[in-house]
Amino acid sequence: MLLYLTKRLGLSVVVICAVVLVLFSLLHLIPGDPATIALGPRATPEAITRYAAKMHLDEPIWRQFLIYIGNVVIGDLGVDVFSDRLVTRIIGERIGFTLTLVAAGMGWAMLLGIPLGCLAAVQPNTWLDRITGVLSVGTIAVPSFLVSIWALLIFAVQLRWLPAIGAGEPGDLADQAVHLILPAFAIGLSWVGYLARMVRASMLEVMGETYIRAARAFGLAPRRVIFGYALRVAILPTITLIGMGFGGLISSTVFAEIIFARPGIGKLIFDSVMARNFPVVQGAVLVATALYIAIVLLSDLLIARLDPRVRESL
Amino acid sequence: MLLDIRNLSVEFRTPRGRVKALRDISFPIRRNRIIGIVGESGSGKSTVLWAIMGLLAGNAEVTGGEILFEDRDMLRFDEAGLRAARGEEISIVFQDPMTSQIPVLTYARQMFDILYRRPKLSADDKRRMAVEMMKKVGIPDPEHRIAQYPHHFSGGMRQRAGIGMALLTGPKLLLGDEPTTALDVTMEAQIIHLLQELQGEFDATIAVVSHNLGLIAELCDDVVVLYAGEVVETGDVHSIFHDPQHPYTRALLECDPARIRERSDKLPVIPGDIPDLVRLRPGCIYAPRCQRAMPVCKTTPPPRAATEVGDATCHLLAGPHRDADWPPPADVPTVRTGLGEPAAAVKSIAPEPVLAVDDLNVRFRTVGVLRARLRGIDDPFVDGVLDVSLSVRPGETVGLVGESGSGKTTLGRAVLNLLTSHRGTIAFEGREIRNMPEGRFKPFRRDMAMMFQDPVGSLSPRKSVRALIVEPFQIHGITGIDLDDEAERLADMVHLPRPLLSRYPHELSGGQARRVGVARALALHPKLIIADEPTAGLDVSVQGEILNLMADLQAEHGLGYLIITHNLPVVRHIADRLAIMYLGRIVEQGDAEAIFRHPAHPYTQALVDGVPQPDPDRRRAHVSISGEVPSLLQRPAGCDFAARCPYVQALCRQEKPAHSTMRDGRIHACHFPLA
Amino acid sequence: MSANRSEQDIGILAVDATGLPDHLTEREVRESAARERREKLRLFVTNWQGLTGLVLVALFFASALLAPWLAPYDPNALDIPARLSVPTLDHIVGTDQLGRDTFSRILYGGRVALQVAAIGVSVSLAIGLILGMIAGFGPRWLDNALLLLFDTVRAFPTIVLALATVALTGPSLELVLAIIIITSIPQYARVTRTATLSLAHTDFILAERSLGASTGRMLFHHVMPNVVGPLLILAAMDVPVVVTVEAGLSFLGLGVLPPNASWGTILNEGYLVIRDAPQMVVAGGIPLILTTLGFTFLGEALRDIFDPRMSKER
Repeated sequence: MLLYLTKRLGLSVVVICAVVLVLFSLLHLIPGDPATIALGPRATPEAITRYAAKMHLDEPIWRQFLIYIGNVVIGDLGVDVFSDRLVTRIIGERIGFTLTLVAAGMGWAMLLGIPLGCLAAVQPNTWLDRITGVLSVGTIAVPSFLVSIWALLIFAVQLRWLPAIGAGEPGDLADQAVHLILPAFAIGLSWVGYLARMVRASMLEVMGETYIRAARAFGLAPRRVIFGYALRVAILPTITLIGMGFGGLISSTVFAEIIFARPGIGKLIFDSVMARNFPVVQGAVLVATALYIAIVLLSDLLIARLDPRVRESL
Repeated sequence: MLLDIRNLSVEFRTPRGRVKALRDISFPIRRNRIIGIVGESGSGKSTVLWAIMGLLAGNAEVTGGEILFEDRDMLRFDEAGLRAARGEEISIVFQDPMTSQIPVLTYARQMFDILYRRPKLSADDKRRMAVEMMKKVGIPDPEHRIAQYPHHFSGGMRQRAGIGMALLTGPKLLLGDEPTTALDVTMEAQIIHLLQELQGEFDATIAVVSHNLGLIAELCDDVVVLYAGEVVETGDVHSIFHDPQHPYTRALLECDPARIRERSDKLPVIPGDIPDLVRLRPGCIYAPRCQRAMPVCKTTPPPRAATEVGDATCHLLAGPHRDADWPPPADVPTVRTGLGEPAAAVKSIAPEPVLAVDDLNVRFRTVGVLRARLRGIDDPFVDGVLDVSLSVRPGETVGLVGESGSGKTTLGRAVLNLLTSHRGTIAFEGREIRNMPEGRFKPFRRDMAMMFQDPVGSLSPRKSVRALIVEPFQIHGITGIDLDDEAERLADMVHLPRPLLSRYPHELSGGQARRVGVARALALHPKLIIADEPTAGLDVSVQGEILNLMADLQAEHGLGYLIITHNLPVVRHIADRLAIMYLGRIVEQGDAEAIFRHPAHPYTQALVDGVPQPDPDRRRAHVSISGEVPSLLQRPAGCDFAARCPYVQALCRQEKPAHSTMRDGRIHACHFPLA
Repeated sequence: MSANRSEQDIGILAVDATGLPDHLTEREVRESAARERREKLRLFVTNWQGLTGLVLVALFFASALLAPWLAPYDPNALDIPARLSVPTLDHIVGTDQLGRDTFSRILYGGRVALQVAAIGVSVSLAIGLILGMIAGFGPRWLDNALLLLFDTVRAFPTIVLALATVALTGPSLELVLAIIIITSIPQYARVTRTATLSLAHTDFILAERSLGASTGRMLFHHVMPNVVGPLLILAAMDVPVVVTVEAGLSFLGLGVLPPNASWGTILNEGYLVIRDAPQMVVAGGIPLILTTLGFTFLGEALRDIFDPRMSKER
């Protein structure tokens, strides 16, 4: 297991390096003076010179890259162009909101979707299965940012049941929870359908395997066969799917934060893009991407924990 | 009587209609005896087992009958009742140990789960029981191995574990669904022996389903013969094998190559195919294929004729059409031999070999370059094929025999340049072709063709049969011919009905797909055909068709065949010479009949003795060989076979035997040959 | 009398008769083929999902292609006095904040969506197919390099990548299209690669090699036909994603620029006036939902019809 962990970790590090390379090159691949590009047409000449100095833009490219990597490793992602605050500071203030939203969104989707998929698989072609099927396809199809907008319209603007803006009073957990409801609902909705379908398909496939028939032939209780044997194997591709799907979840979160004005990483990136605050954009994108890579790594490790064949395949 | 099946009928709902898989099946399973349920594909033999367990597929329906287990009708059990019986009173051993054990749980965990209905047992007790059982079924070091996962066990070990799991609760009835079909010959012998031992020890009743007549004769006390969903004959094992009453039973026995004492080039065949079970014709189910069918057989169902020890349903045995001359004496054949004319008495074999392999070596890399360097491994290779020399002459059939892991398939692929080999020569008609670049080798592919083991899987799924058969012409850019004509010519040559030309591979039966494979191989008039397991998956009663076809084609075109197989009874009849492989080396080579009568190498003897004979009088008293094939990664010093050889001596463990030639021309690799 | 049903309905392998017995006549063979064709058609026609999907997709294509003739107004024609009106006979879906007819803008927005979907999906499918076949069939090092490339691209949540790039180049539809293509390629490549890898070791590919088939022939005649099926289903499921991404990016102001119409810009403008004129976000969202639903239903129906067959054929 340790060997597998090391290998996967190594792979993730390589990918992060590649991501850093891409982010770094973006600035330099676009024709023109990097400082002007980063700060936009409305920047003052002083701001441009200051930026150029900060980014060491007079040095050779490879040197700049090494400096950048070095900085990233020690946690220095640069400073905000306008306020001179540390980017890491700014991100740190807001990452909590993003993490809670992502967790809440995926969390409720898993709590509802996985059991639904299981039930549908165990009782195929019943009304429960058919309804789950239709609802699943329906929820998958609806774009999440549209759900955000319409949820905002219906529950916040028209019915006024839930707040429309912000993340709630700091320190007031109940208020923050209430502010979490609509955005978490919006980003999780399509995942409910997705998970239900995936689990159902996976379970049906596993239930057709000979070893399930064998377990039943040994007289094992149905609950044990379904959960201890079938689901145990069927959940594996679902975990992979969840891990890889977090990228899409993060995208949905960006939209939700913008629409509901939650001060998370997504909104930070968007605002910084609009304000031409490139170091913040670069830093926040790096953090968001690293978060995604870390989640994929975790899901792979979880699978290795559950499936002995994976952790021995090197 | 432990289990009494009465008038059981099962149907399956399919898009084509209702398949009447079992019709009015009745037979008893007697206590403390082993009963064998014999049948070929389509007989419904496995369906019987699933009906007993209550584990039929979702589209199955029991339409009549009773299954009385100790006087209770199992078909009327509710789910809880069935579950109570499963595992505790009736247990089953599955055919393929690779797919019937869950890969993500340890054996300990799986066995614990099986014992879940014993609340009085503590965890320690359960573990002790499990380890005891592993020991009983012959798994070494059970204390440690029980905590391992199935993929750590070899095939034979997995099947032993499967048997252990089935017997763990001490069931009254043990069912076996082709328990040895997925195993090698030497492992099969060990499992048969294990089952016999366990039956004695546990006083169990066993019911085994199989198409392998040798297994049935060796293991069983009573026999039930199924054909296309009906019981055609029952009896005890001696009467069935020595005095079969029903024409099908008789024909089946005659077709088994292991029963044919004299080597014959053409094998008997039961012509035709199993009938359509959706639209059944009136009369006897076997009538369309029966050599003795009378007009009444096609209109009226046959009567049951009771014998002292069983019964058979045939018009020849009872009723107004009873024939006193039936059955004829044992030496009179009732099935025709082959399709065309009988083979020429003497085969014409040219002297110059078409294929000559010398000292061939094929190595496989075990770890990547980087990891090898990191771990300090000098030689990260294993020898899949080691110093192999053999030859095939035009008109000759050479059988390459070995069990799994012997390297026979690797050798076949290396000869066809589908793998790189590392040393040695491969000469085709005298020209060196080993590792020839594909560009230069391509013309040779017209002269050497391969037939693959999986008949349907070796055909590209989205191409029609016609497209597949003419593809060789397209690949080699042959112009000036009418492709459709060629397709039809080849289809006729292999007796493939022309309408099938427009079908797709997944719509063909195994036998039909195999014939497509033959047609493709023949398209460009090759001189050598390498056939990988040509009879795999074919019923004994029809495998003769493909083999006789191949024999006819050989006589007509002077083809050389290299047949790769582990099926010894078959290869004895079709091969002129044999090469026996073990762990990548040839351990014996020479005239096929001589090898069978007087094997020189102990492994050959183990193989020959290891095949269960379809004759209950020729049961083996002891197992000819124990243990498993060693891993290629740990090739023993000294003779590869030393660890399992019953005649092993000190020298064998130290020094690898070189190939030496005997007086009669046979080559072997043994320090102390048996002949 | 029927066997116990409940547990047996858990998808245990069903038995059916495969292969045609030899003795069927030519007529029976042809009839059997005709019956299979009818069965496939019947499956499609009675599958309400598929039909609905087909109708919606047809509606999408028709409205987008015929927009210039169907639109009652010029989508950019201003009519300030009539701004933000509710649906009337004149403007069947109302007007936006500049008095432009929302219905016409929706139709023209559909054209944008169609362009993006058509170009985006077809280009990324083609490139993904080729790269996937190379990865599956070619040397190991190339496979590893391509995998690393795909992993890096996939590590970026789409929106985040779009934001980072737009930060430097400014918004444009071409940019959105490029990003959509780049981020879509990995999924087609991955599916192709997996299928190619599993096919590469099958007996029939080996059989082709033993006949002397060239790599090109094997890839185009034998691998590709078996891969195209899942790819087309993936494409059908990808169109909603692509259309949503375009709408989402345009919503954020990163794609289609004013005054041009896109479903996303309509939603953006509607979001800004959500309290006063909620009808705009409803109007702008409905075509998006109908299109995504339509393609998703269609993809599901195609999968139901073709996938079970394909797994049986294998």
